[in-house]
Amino acid sequence: MRNTIQQLLNGIFIGSIYALFGLGYTLVFGLLDVLNLAHSEVFMLGAVVAYSLVALHHVPFLLAVPLGIAAGGLLGLVIEFVALRPLRRRGAPPIAALISTIGLALILVALIEQAKRGGALSWLWRDGANDVQFPAGKVPDRIWHLAGLTLPVNKVAIVVITVALMGVLAYVMAKTPAGRAVRAVAENPRAAQLLGVNVDRVITITLVASSALAALAGILFALALNDISPYIGRDQVELRGLAVIVLGGMGSIPGTFIGGFTLGLLESITILTLGTDVRAVGFVALFVMLILRPSGLLGRPATERV
Amino acid sequence: MRTTSRIRWWGTAGVAVALFASACGSSSGTASSKGKTLKLGAVFSLTGAGGVYGPQQQQAVKLAEETINAGGGVNGANLSIQVVDDASTQTQAAQQTQTLIQQNQVVALLGPTLSNSAVAAHPIADSLKTPMLAVSTTGLNIVGTCPYPCTYIFRDSLGEAAAIPTNIKTYVAAASPKPKTGVLLYPNDDKFSVDGATAVKQTVTDPAVGIQLLDTIQFSKSDADLTQFVNQGVAKHPDVIFITSLGGIPAKIMTAARQQGFTGQFLGGNGFNSAAVSKQAGNFGKGARSASAWYLGNDFASNAEFVKAFKAKYGTDPDQFAAQAYTGVLILADAAKRAKLTYTDLAGDRQKLRTAMESTNIQTPLGPFQFTSTHDVHQTIWVIAMDGQGGFSLVTSVKPS
Repeated sequence: MRNTIQQLLNGIFIGSIYALFGLGYTLVFGLLDVLNLAHSEVFMLGAVVAYSLVALHHVPFLLAVPLGIAAGGLLGLVIEFVALRPLRRRGAPPIAALISTIGLALILVALIEQAKRGGALSWLWRDGANDVQFPAGKVPDRIWHLAGLTLPVNKVAIVVITVALMGVLAYVMAKTPAGRAVRAVAENPRAAQLLGVNVDRVITITLVASSALAALAGILFALALNDISPYIGRDQVELRGLAVIVLGGMGSIPGTFIGGFTLGLLESITILTLGTDVRAVGFVALFVMLILRPSGLLGRPATERV
Repeated sequence: MRTTSRIRWWGTAGVAVALFASACGSSSGTASSKGKTLKLGAVFSLTGAGGVYGPQQQQAVKLAEETINAGGGVNGANLSIQVVDDASTQTQAAQQTQTLIQQNQVVALLGPTLSNSAVAAHPIADSLKTPMLAVSTTGLNIVGTCPYPCTYIFRDSLGEAAAIPTNIKTYVAAASPKPKTGVLLYPNDDKFSVDGATAVKQTVTDPAVGIQLLDTIQFSKSDADLTQFVNQGVAKHPDVIFITSLGGIPAKIMTAARQQGFTGQFLGGNGFNSAAVSKQAGNFGKGARSASAWYLGNDFASNAEFVKAFKAKYGTDPDQFAAQAYTGVLILADAAKRAKLTYTDLAGDRQKLRTAMESTNIQTPLGPFQFTSTHDVHQTIWVIAMDGQGGFSLVTSVKPS
């Protein structure tokens, strides 16, 4: 029984990371109909920047977190101005933008995995392809033991942060002028422009917000799982992030939230009931969802996304 | 400053010359091939999952190349080693191997870094009758019993089939009380890890070991959070947790298991034998044991001089992967020295080199080194344990039978 509860908690912990990662994905998709596949590299770079500040430059962790998020936001600007806007201006199809973000993602991973001690980027990363972790004692690492359950404070904090951010994002989208502008652009960019909405600015702000969320997710992932490497975004969360937004409904913020926790819990329940030999259950759920309800759990017609 | 650099250069060169001379024993060493170039290739994983190991291999190979050339080359011939990146993928490993053999016309190759890539690259080298020396592939069927002839394939990396049983048996023999139960964790989408798991499963059934496997837990190397899998294992209350995996996975498992209250022993394979892994595991990994082809602290001359030269050139200690790659170049250079190469008949030179490699008997950083009749390693096995501070301590050594 104790193992069952522990595994369900584990599912909630990892599900909150999937949800947080997926939120950024879904924001951009809801607005542009484009999958930003550099999102997972912003996730990685958020973790790398925070690690660099703490481990190499001795910046306190609580200051490194907002700086890492800010670096993620800046990368959002790079994605918009380098990978997306030039193509949008030329009226390129969404697939061109998707490929453009893949290219940017490959460049970002290569930059980090080639960064070594003594190299030009050694102020940011010195460990090449190696996995590293935040130095002990420099980051919160308490573990609560409650009724035989193991509750790392970091993982509990991630759940709280994810729930709070989902609430804030849902409120901003539904109740504020900025949210209304985003929804207007998502529905029809040309009509929004005619009504006085600065479409480019809305897209830029959304990409910055999405990338800042990815960076935060990366930092929390690195903290909770003791793992930072050039590949944490690509190998460990990218595919699951995609599964989450399809499960929850492409472009739906509450759907992504539910999709993240659903996937995390599904993985845990599978281990508990079917053992560790049964794999990829999340993707089986994805196929079932696509067959039974292609728009996802909370997905709506494209005109009502976000 | 300039004087210091010069002294360091001459010091390194001196060590290099001494090291190569000792490695090559009393071979003829005439400068009959002066003006020629002995072209070798190396296929390493400089990026991707194997990028944890490839860069050190590249550094070691370059050090060996400089060392040998500073000592007069190979019978006077200049040694030139072209290192290429296989990006940790099978397709690129195969493509790079073929290019080095057919386009760049190398006499022999080192690599690839990963067993996963070796299954694609080695058959190509073998079919093109070019010696390829595996310097870090430790999986099953790399040499000896292969699904193809593998007559041109050699290995100087200690296979999991030898390393894991040695580690487990020496641990059980010394342990008090004797461990009775174990749980095995490994990613099932990686050849190295699966082969290591096979070695564990076979060893625990040995009557001299007698450990009951309570559970075999498989996961994917791309799983983000291993806590769920570790939880399943720890809940069985085993005496030992066996881990056969590469990269950061062993450290993640050790961390999660200790956080969940596991107090038993971690036993593993070559995947433990990297300072990066020991550093990542930190205090959670203290005492984790594995069998290794090499130990940093060995003070016999061929190792001490290698460690000194590596540290002088790169500013850090080498690791097992560097030591094996360096040894690989020594083996090829020694064989080339004895093989009476023509430098005009490439196919004939490759055949001569292969024959000469079979009678290798040199001092290396790994210790005295020979090949078995199946081209596998015949060397001392060093059992080491993580020291909790990013390094290792020597537990015991087992001489080859």
